[in-house]
Amino acid sequence: MSIFINKATRVEVQGVTGKEGSYWTGHMVDMGTRVVFGVTPGKEGQTVGQIPVYHTVARGLRDHAADAAMLFVPPRFTKDAVFEALDGGIRKIVTIADGIPLHETVQIRSAALSCGAVVIGGNGSGVISPGQAMMGCLPFWIERVYKPGRIGVMTRSGSLTNEVTAEVVKGGFGVSSLLGIGGDAVPLTRFAEMLPAFQADPDTDAVVIIGELGGTMEEEVAEAIEAKVFTKPLVAFIGGRTAPEGKQMGHAGAIASGGRGTAASKHKILARAGALVAKKPSEVGRLLREALGVK
Amino acid sequence: MKLFEFQAKELFAEAGIPVPVGRVVSSVEEAEAAAKDVGFPCVLKSQVLRGGRGKAGLIRKAADLAELKSHAADLLDPKRNIGRLLIEQAVDIDREIYISISVDPTAAKALIMACAEGGVEIETLAVTQPEKILRRRVDIDRGLQDYQVTNLLFDLGLRGDLYKQGRALINGLYKQFRKYDASLTEINPLFVTKQGGLVAGDGKFVIDGNSLSRQPRFKLERAYFDSDVEFEAATEGIPYIQFDGNIGLLCAGAGLTTTVYDLINDEGGRVANYLEFGGANYTRAHKALELCLKNDIKVILVVTFGTIARADVMAQGLVDAIKDLKPTMPVVPCIRGTNEEVALKTLKEAGLEPLFDTEEAVRKAVAIAAGRAA
Repeated sequence: MSIFINKATRVEVQGVTGKEGSYWTGHMVDMGTRVVFGVTPGKEGQTVGQIPVYHTVARGLRDHAADAAMLFVPPRFTKDAVFEALDGGIRKIVTIADGIPLHETVQIRSAALSCGAVVIGGNGSGVISPGQAMMGCLPFWIERVYKPGRIGVMTRSGSLTNEVTAEVVKGGFGVSSLLGIGGDAVPLTRFAEMLPAFQADPDTDAVVIIGELGGTMEEEVAEAIEAKVFTKPLVAFIGGRTAPEGKQMGHAGAIASGGRGTAASKHKILARAGALVAKKPSEVGRLLREALGVK
Repeated sequence: MKLFEFQAKELFAEAGIPVPVGRVVSSVEEAEAAAKDVGFPCVLKSQVLRGGRGKAGLIRKAADLAELKSHAADLLDPKRNIGRLLIEQAVDIDREIYISISVDPTAAKALIMACAEGGVEIETLAVTQPEKILRRRVDIDRGLQDYQVTNLLFDLGLRGDLYKQGRALINGLYKQFRKYDASLTEINPLFVTKQGGLVAGDGKFVIDGNSLSRQPRFKLERAYFDSDVEFEAATEGIPYIQFDGNIGLLCAGAGLTTTVYDLINDEGGRVANYLEFGGANYTRAHKALELCLKNDIKVILVVTFGTIARADVMAQGLVDAIKDLKPTMPVVPCIRGTNEEVALKTLKEAGLEPLFDTEEAVRKAVAIAAGRAA
């Protein structure tokens, strides 16, 4: 089992003919991901590798069924691409776009919530279940990071994904599913919303979250642990412990989070809920061993 | 992009939100001329982006021309990056209200917050009496509804003419929030005057950084930044924060850069600058190194573990940049991720000693900076 995607998931790729799009779609296929068609307006009839390209999602769906959409689309076209996939009936979408306008992230998440869809991203690296399938830009062939195993990973940081996951593997474990939740101010899907899937997954023994300063996603994870929505061991790493109080975004930020949001306060709240908090990435493996009773 | 108060008030005025009569000036002579239009008593407000201006003495009241000239001469100071003052008519204040619009990322809605007790102590109030902060969430596809405004106004205790003015004000503020892709707009304090009017006492307006390409009205200028390097980095779209240590940082991604910053502090080192050349900037090692070299540093630490940002591209970029810019201090590269085997080869062939472990690289850089290694 894996969450979000597996070997059977039929994936269509929007923006498939672009430089990054074709490069990473090739890697998705190499890993065994079932890519059924690609979309680039004006390029119908072409192929990327063996994958047929269509002008639009609707035109591709006339010939192929799809369960999930991978978007290699620039930030300013991402809202349109998400709505196109949603209107095609697709309910699992991944975007790696870095720089989606804030108000559009609000509109995308709002639309997804109202039709029960899950959109992962933006400003993340994608989703992978090692040994199963990958959507996005994850170098699955780097064995010291993407070793199949029984630890779930969720991350707000693209750059820390490899750094921390390598420590999971160094600790003697591997990855069941990794979700690039992403670093935007409005993540299209939040940590706590994916915890029930990891809880239900018989192939996940524990979850590692890679958090950041700001926002309240880590606090929501603590609430899910306290409410027993998530009862498996959880290890958290949050960068920015020593960061000086930054330029604050007016009073609204401070009020919205009621004084919360620093790495230190996130550490405290997670630890109080029973999560194991790593001060450095290199502690993640040891904490997982402690939590799972592995010597 | 955070706007200056006078720019925020420009946007308010355009939406029909009352602001005090005021003029922006950049010299004592201009201040004198402005006072003729504004009248006395007036207030001189330094146009800087940092908060706490009142407590820092950057806002002063002038009763006559002599006071105005002396305050203006005192406040205008290029060294403190104060190049402009907003000269405003003083307002007869009865009480102060707080209002802001931001985004609620969980609900995926715009968030209006308001409080009948505004002013500088609002953050304390938010912690001690959070129930006093009113919150209304707005579906941005549906737009702000009349009943939501009605609720807010009654809950704020505004009646009669203030109620009417309040309705126009909230609608105007929401309109500008949407039109200019704001991540935050805030009026604190919003004055209720003794004459029974509403006037925006201060103004904050932050345009979302991801929306700047479709919001060309306000251009980045030197005045927004405390240093030339920060201005240059921002112009180039490279995230950069100035510190005063001696370890130059060239990292990829906010999460990893912040973590390396933590690890350096743990080891007793001091960071000269925060700099990211990951994401869309991963081909821009040359510019990144150029910015880094503007600081007085003992060592350059390069840490990446990229996915989209390919290690081979970053390593080649770094090697080319070193060849061209010839830094005199050692470079400690720790470049991993997609195509790292190519990156490793590139770095070795260029005579560098690539490391593979972040903490090891940090320890080495800290040791060099402290003169304990070469």
